[in-house]
Amino acid sequence: MRSVILRAGATLLTVLATALSALYVTSHLKNPAAPLQPTVLSASGATTLSAPGGTLTLGPSVQPSNAQPVTSTYAS
Amino acid sequence: MPLKAPVQAHHFEALGTNCSLFAVGLATGRLLEGEFWVRRMGARLTRFCPDSELSQFNASTGNWTDISPELESLLRESMRAFETSSGLVNVAVLRSIEAVGYTRPLSEGQPVATTLRAAPLPPLPDVLAVRQGAARLERGAGIDLGGIAKGWMADRLCDSLGPNIVANLGGDLSARGTGPAGDGWPVGLGGVTVLLRDQGAATSSVRRRRWSLDHHHLIDPRTGLPAQTGLEEVSVVAADGVEAEVVAKTALLVGPEIAPAYCAAHALAWWLSP
Repeated sequence: MRSVILRAGATLLTVLATALSALYVTSHLKNPAAPLQPTVLSASGATTLSAPGGTLTLGPSVQPSNAQPVTSTYAS
Repeated sequence: MPLKAPVQAHHFEALGTNCSLFAVGLATGRLLEGEFWVRRMGARLTRFCPDSELSQFNASTGNWTDISPELESLLRESMRAFETSSGLVNVAVLRSIEAVGYTRPLSEGQPVATTLRAAPLPPLPDVLAVRQGAARLERGAGIDLGGIAKGWMADRLCDSLGPNIVANLGGDLSARGTGPAGDGWPVGLGGVTVLLRDQGAATSSVRRRRWSLDHHHLIDPRTGLPAQTGLEEVSVVAADGVEAEVVAKTALLVGPEIAPAYCAAHALAWWLSP
């Protein structure tokens, strides 16, 4: 009798866990329209300069200069 | 004040834009070789000429097709770009860009604005497979290499012409060596001069190649429509030209709220313009 109760209990527990898992998964469906989120980080050690039309941030490995630029990056 | 070495400069038009090469200690003939290589690669990678290698690949959908080592390298770079941008840089954008009217070079006239219909792009690995010497494109898909090709070419030019050179192909640039004064190549970024040394820079913008209020060339793969994210221009310095191009485009597409943190994780310097 005791083993039957144990088996019934285990079966009930399994069925309950399966049902709850299914409920959880179906209520947390992946939203294909959700915006993608690539890796991000805070800008430690960076210098932000205010400039007309936007903001310029220089990390520690890029130094500003007073020299005349030979060329520029630009939209084409 | 450090002594400045003389800089050889060579300017030419190719890839539908202005290109420049700057070098220290390099014969003019080598810069000309660089120009000819850019022209040859441009002819092979343009989507506007039906005889180009890219157009023939786009026309061979559904079959494994032999491709050159250069196209293979670019397609592999494109797959990496898709991964590192979480899908925001997707070269399988050709059908969307044609759908918004950009079907011929801008030098042949402004595109005609079309009715915009949202059609998210499929993930690149779902439509493109690459193996050594061959690639396969799913039916209905098409590749436009765009800025990735320019960044890749700028990097390859520096590989072959280095060790002290800047290649600028329509704003996608790669800088190698210590520049004319030994402290890096002075390059304009967001109105400021910065010194680049073994780095690349690129700009992604919706201000150019625009033919109506809603129509421009930069497609958001999440919608298949011209991007409207609240950022209009992003310039980035990164480890090389291709990476700069990928990071600049991704930053523009994630928009002004996420772009600063994204750039902090992936760029060495960045200019964000709303």
